Amino acid sequence: MTQLQARGVVRAYGPTPALRGVTLDLAEGEIVAVTGPSGCGKSTLLHCLAGILRPDAGEVTWRGHRIDTWSEAARSRLRRTEFGVLFQFGQLVAELTAAENVALPLLLAGTGRREARTAALTWLERFGVAEVADVRPGEMSGGQQQRCATARALVTEPRVLFADEPTGALDTLTGEQVLTQLVRLAREQRTAVVLVTHEPRIAAYADREIVLRDGLVDHTGLGLDVPLAGGTR
Amino acid sequence: MRPTTLLRLALAGTRTDTARVVLTALSALLATLAGLAALTVLAIPTPAATDENQNRWSEQYHNALLAEPGLRGGTAFALLMLMVPVLALAGQCARLGAPARDRRLAALRLAGATPGQVTRLVVLETGVAALLGTLVGLGVYLVGRDLLHRPDAQGQLALPTDVLPSTGALAGVVFGLPVVAALATALMLRTVTTSPLGVSRKATRERGPGPWAGLLIGFGVASFAVIRPVVYRFADDDELMAWLVPVLFAVGALAAMIGVVIGTGWLSYHCGRLLRRHARGPAALLAAGRLMADPWAGSRTFAALLAALIFGGGAAAQRAYFGTKDQLEREQSRFAGLDGGTNPFYLSTMDYVDGAIAVAILIATGGLIVALVEGIVARRRAYAALVATGVPRATLSRSVAWQALAPAVPAILLALTVGTLLGRGLVAEVSAGGGSATICEATAALCEDPATSAQYNRIVYYPEVQRAVPVPLEHLAWLGAGALAAVLVTVGVGLLFLRASTALDELRTT
Repeated sequence: MTQLQARGVVRAYGPTPALRGVTLDLAEGEIVAVTGPSGCGKSTLLHCLAGILRPDAGEVTWRGHRIDTWSEAARSRLRRTEFGVLFQFGQLVAELTAAENVALPLLLAGTGRREARTAALTWLERFGVAEVADVRPGEMSGGQQQRCATARALVTEPRVLFADEPTGALDTLTGEQVLTQLVRLAREQRTAVVLVTHEPRIAAYADREIVLRDGLVDHTGLGLDVPLAGGTR
Repeated sequence: MRPTTLLRLALAGTRTDTARVVLTALSALLATLAGLAALTVLAIPTPAATDENQNRWSEQYHNALLAEPGLRGGTAFALLMLMVPVLALAGQCARLGAPARDRRLAALRLAGATPGQVTRLVVLETGVAALLGTLVGLGVYLVGRDLLHRPDAQGQLALPTDVLPSTGALAGVVFGLPVVAALATALMLRTVTTSPLGVSRKATRERGPGPWAGLLIGFGVASFAVIRPVVYRFADDDELMAWLVPVLFAVGALAAMIGVVIGTGWLSYHCGRLLRRHARGPAALLAAGRLMADPWAGSRTFAALLAALIFGGGAAAQRAYFGTKDQLEREQSRFAGLDGGTNPFYLSTMDYVDGAIAVAILIATGGLIVALVEGIVARRRAYAALVATGVPRATLSRSVAWQALAPAVPAILLALTVGTLLGRGLVAEVSAGGGSATICEATAALCEDPATSAQYNRIVYYPEVQRAVPVPLEHLAWLGAGALAAVLVTVGVGLLFLRASTALDELRTT
C-alpha cells in the first residue's frame, strides 16, 4: 500500500532548477534508493518528501493528505512523529551524550526521562554502541556517531526513514556495517526507507532504485540482491 | 609574505568580516574617547595655594568633580572604568563570523600559508581595525574639544576643553590600544590550531571549573575591608598612604571582578549540571549540555555586564552611605534647633556615577547581543539539522533562553553581592557629632560684640552618633532588574536570528 507519493514535484534554488517534475511512490516497509550524479536533485527530492522543503509546484501526499500545503509546524510534527531523518554528518547535538541524543525525539514527544533513556539504551545496544551511551559525539569515532544518529532516527519507530548519504562519511567496512544494521532494523519494524546515495553498492541494499538526472527521473529499477547480516532478503 | 599581501588578506572577507572590522574599530573608538577623557581630567593642572584659593581648586570649571584636585583621580578612574565594557564589546566582536573566518584561514593554509602567517593575519586584522578606531577616536576627541569649548560669562567651562594630555599620553592611547588588542588576539589564538583541513581548538575540560574564583572574590573583599583600618593606622604616613590605598583599591577591585567573571564559569557549569539532572523537557536538556560543554561562554558573554554590576553594587553602597550621613546630619541640626540644609554635592555626584553605570550596562548589552547572535549563527547548521528532524523551533528558542538566563540570574546576584560587599567594606558605618557648635540666636552684630556675645551665643554639644549604613536593597533590586531586562532583550534579539538560522536551506550550506 502506497504511503508517500510525490507527483510532478518541481523545486528550484533561485534560477537553478533542482527538480523538474519528479513522480515517486513509496509503499509501506519499502526501501527505495535515490541515486544519480552530483547536483541531480537527490537531496532536494528527499527534503521535499520529508517536508523539510516545500516544492515550488507538484504535490507530496502522506497517506492521502497533501503535506506540501501544511504549515511548517505541522510538517515538523509529522517529521517528529512519523518520519525519521538521517544525514551524512553533523546531526548529533555536540553537547549531549549519545544516550541523550537518542532520547531527544522521545523527550520531544513527551516521554518521561527515565523511559526515554531506557529506550535509548536499548537502541544503542541494537546498534552495538551501548558502551558510548554516556560519551559525547566529539569523543566517538565516525562509525559510532553514525550508529547513534541512526538509532536516534529509528527510536520513535517511524513509518519512513529519510537517509541522505548516511554512510558518505564512513570507510567502506564501517559504512556497510551501519547500513546492514539500518536495513535489518527497518525491515523488522516495517519502516520504509528513502536512501539517497551516489554509490551503486549502497543502492544495492534497496528494493528499488530511482536514478535521477538533471532533476528528472532517468529510470527506475530493482535493487540487487545483497546478503544481509542475519539472513537474506 | 609581503606586508601589502598580508594586509590585503587580513582585510579580505565577507560582509560578516566587514561587520567584525567595523565593530572592532567602533569599540576602539569608544575606548579611545573614554581613555582620552580620563587623561584630560588628569592633565588639569592644580594651581598653587593662595589666600583666596587655599584648597587649590581649579576654578575655571563649574563642576567640583573637575575643579577639586582630590576628586579628579576618582573622576578619571570612573572614566577609565567605562573602557572595561567597551573593551569587552571589542572582545565579543572579535568572535563575529568566526566559522567563516576559520574556513578562510584553513583555505589559506591549504594554499600554502604557514601557521605563523595565518596567526599574523588574524592579529593584523584586529590591530588594523583597532588602529583605525583609535585614529578616528583621536579625531573625534580633537574636533569635539574645539566644538565644546564654550566658556560662560564668568569664563568658566563645563568640560576641561582648555587642557590637552601630553603627546606621549595621547600616543600611548592611540597606539597602545591596538597593540593591546592585537596581543589579546594572539593570546586567544594560542589554543587554536589552523590546519589545511580546518580550525581546531583545544578540547574543553571534562571537569567543570573549580570553585577557586571564591578565593579571588574573598581577597578582593578583604582588600577593601582593610582600607579603612589602614587609613586610621597610617594616617600620618603620607608617603605610605599615597600608594598603599590606591593599590589596595585597584588590586581588590580587580581581584573581585576577575573572581566574579571566573565564578560565572563555575556557576554556568553547575547550573548545567543541575539542569541536566532535573530537566524534564528537551529545551532544558539542550541548554544543560551547552552550559556544561562550554561553561566559560557565560564568563565571556557576561563579563562586561558583571563588571558594570559590581561597580553598580559598590556605588549603591556608597550612595546609601551618603544618604545615611545626610540624614544623620539633618537630625543633628534639628537637635541643635537649626534648619540644617545639607550639602547635596555628594549625592548629586552619585547621579553621575549611576549615569556612567547605566551607560556601561547599555554597552555591555550591545556586547551580549553580539555574543548571543554569534553563538546562534555559528551553530546554525546544527540547529537546522535539529529542525529537520522535527525539533520545534519553540524548543530551540526555549533552550537559547535557558542558556542565557540559567547562568545570568545567579551571576547577576553574585556581582551585586560582591559590589555591595566591596562598597560596604569602605563605608559600612556613619558617625557624626562628638563636638560642639556655637549658635548665634540674634543678629551677627550682637553675636560678634564682646559685650553681648555671651547673651546671644549658645553652645550646643552634639553627642557622637554612629549608625550602620543600611543595605540598599531597593537600589540593588533596580540594578538587578535592569541587568535582567538587558539579558531578556538580548535573548529576544537572539531569537529573531534563531528563526533565520534554523532555515532548512542551511542544510545545503557547507
